[in-house]
Amino acid sequence: MKNRQVKTKAPTGLVLNIQHFCTHDGPGIRTNVFLKGCSLRCKWCSNPESINLKPELAYKPSQCLGEKQCGFCLKNVCPESAIYVVGSGDRADDKVWINWDLCTNCGKCVPVCPTNALYLFGQEMTVDEVLGEVEQDSTFYRESGGGMTVSGGECQLQPDFLAALLAGAHGRGINTAIETASNVPWDFMAKVLPHVDTVLHDIKLTDPERHKKWTGADNTRIRANLKRAYETFPDKKFIARTPLIPGVNDDEEHIRVTLAFIKPHKNVVDYELLPYMRFGESKYGFLGRIYEMQDFNPPTPETLNRLRAIIDEAFGRIGKSARE
Amino acid sequence: MAALIKRIAINFGGGYVPGLNAVITGAVLAANELGWEVVGIRDGFEGLLFPARYSDGGLVKLSPSLMENLAGATGCILGTAAQSDPFHVRTINAENMVEEVDRSDELLGVIKKEKIDGVISVVGSRALSILWKLSRKGLKTVCVPKSVENDVAATMLSFGFNSALGFVAEMLERCRQAAQSARRIGVVEVLGEHAGWLALQAGMAVCADAVLIPEIPYDLRKVAARLREKAKAGRTFGLVVAAEGAKPAAGLNVPPKSSDSKMKAALSPGASGNEGFHVMERAGQVAAEVALEVQRLTDQETYPLVLGQLARGGTPTVVDRQLGLGYGAGAVRALKGGQSGIMVVFQPPDLKFMPLSEAINKFRTVPADSEFVQIARALGISLGD
Repeated sequence: MKNRQVKTKAPTGLVLNIQHFCTHDGPGIRTNVFLKGCSLRCKWCSNPESINLKPELAYKPSQCLGEKQCGFCLKNVCPESAIYVVGSGDRADDKVWINWDLCTNCGKCVPVCPTNALYLFGQEMTVDEVLGEVEQDSTFYRESGGGMTVSGGECQLQPDFLAALLAGAHGRGINTAIETASNVPWDFMAKVLPHVDTVLHDIKLTDPERHKKWTGADNTRIRANLKRAYETFPDKKFIARTPLIPGVNDDEEHIRVTLAFIKPHKNVVDYELLPYMRFGESKYGFLGRIYEMQDFNPPTPETLNRLRAIIDEAFGRIGKSARE
Repeated sequence: MAALIKRIAINFGGGYVPGLNAVITGAVLAANELGWEVVGIRDGFEGLLFPARYSDGGLVKLSPSLMENLAGATGCILGTAAQSDPFHVRTINAENMVEEVDRSDELLGVIKKEKIDGVISVVGSRALSILWKLSRKGLKTVCVPKSVENDVAATMLSFGFNSALGFVAEMLERCRQAAQSARRIGVVEVLGEHAGWLALQAGMAVCADAVLIPEIPYDLRKVAARLREKAKAGRTFGLVVAAEGAKPAAGLNVPPKSSDSKMKAALSPGASGNEGFHVMERAGQVAAEVALEVQRLTDQETYPLVLGQLARGGTPTVVDRQLGLGYGAGAVRALKGGQSGIMVVFQPPDLKFMPLSEAINKFRTVPADSEFVQIARALGISLGD
């Protein structure tokens, strides 16, 4: 199918990062594998480096030694002349800048940078390479009931690799979870979900127009996919999640409409709220992108507790609303 | 070559600057004298890429009669682009998935189809690179630099700077009066990511106590010493002007940015600690940090204030009207001379043309030995060094 953002080159996948000892994405202590590529453009995205389905350059200015002390990347390394310095050598701050409109992410500047101020987000890895690293933590999984969570980006945009990775994990006795927004063709999900123990899926907004305004695409297919997934895989555990964004979806109506959508399905075992944090803000700078949510603050504990109380009531958990 | 031109277009990159309408007027009147027709493209290149979104089809015919009284008017009748990059146009594909696609070839095709023989683009430093890429693909283009911060290399004075300078100086004057009556120290952040012209020149005009600019890393102990000295003499108030790109000297008081590092690591793998410092922070960060630190160091109450984007608004001054008209007419002169892939620059007393390849990645910053720096020092204004 053309137009589909899918890599068919399984079993290698484009991996952004592998993060050990995570406790926020699924049961127990888990290893999070972040895959690159996303089919939405949420304005609050905390992982902008995961959006493009290709390796891309990032730049941490705090590690740059500057033109006078180093300057290797300025010596005809960049074929597009995308690396430059501001001023004429008389500035105390002579760190380099990147012209992101000229950069083609070719990565030629990366090996010449001695401090890794210039680096590439995303590398091709095989299933065995990823699992080799994930398995280092297997003692912790056993003791805590944890496992591997594959996140992103939208991990289901690489369905062949993801299915192979999850099946491989099961083969090694590792519990699996994915974190997904589900805005992918159904056949991707049909490939992936048989190998998942827990599906953590987002419900960002319930109204299609508002969903499009804040995330770039409407939620018609997301809702159809989720309904079909709940019904097709009655034995899988689903946990709905909402990234709670002040002024966007931090209202009771969103919670109630979401509950009405998930509650008829017994295999949706929980609904979590993830308060919006400014995690991603500095990374927009590394990638030369503009963060559009800079004037938003995280939701207050009062709002969180009030909304969580509604969820607790719906799931028959009275008095647990004060949890973090 | 020049005789082939019959119809040209004009468009604007992101960000309002006083005098945009003056550039349109200059280009339209000069083109009219040559018998050319001028059309305006709505919102950068969006008018051509998404014509269905506009009731007029995204292209506006600009006649000389429309130009009556326009040069001094505020706003921009064509609209400016938010983030218009024809090489990365956000699109929803057949699978309802969002992706960025390269529509530059399609854009060039539409320009040809509309019989547009040359495009005048009024753009800031970022879009300059995009126009350079388009010109390499064959677009006949002349750029007019747009910078309210006056940081375009090779041009002495960008249109819009004079209007912004007047506004910022007036606001600083008011802030100082407020600080004086409330016995406080006002810390005012003004635009200037790369270059401190706006902060330095406006700060000088109102004799601020300190001016912090990106070119000179600051040590707030020096600023505080000066304010304490002033307080000893009974004047317990002050005014500190900081450009948004001002930074502390290496190794000095980089404020820690708190967050739950474990959760951050789990949810956001590329983020870490203080990273992001040096990249352009959100508006207000410099004012907030400087105000807190000055308060700590002087034990005098401070208040941060952000002028930021306010400086972009308003009616152009007469200087900016002249400049805008001049840049617009200059761009037409370049097209008439058969030039393309160039930027119009003002090097008094001349308007000159500079290849885009030499113009990109260059900024006009305040040199350490600049006359402005020397005058500021002579007036006793602390530059934080």
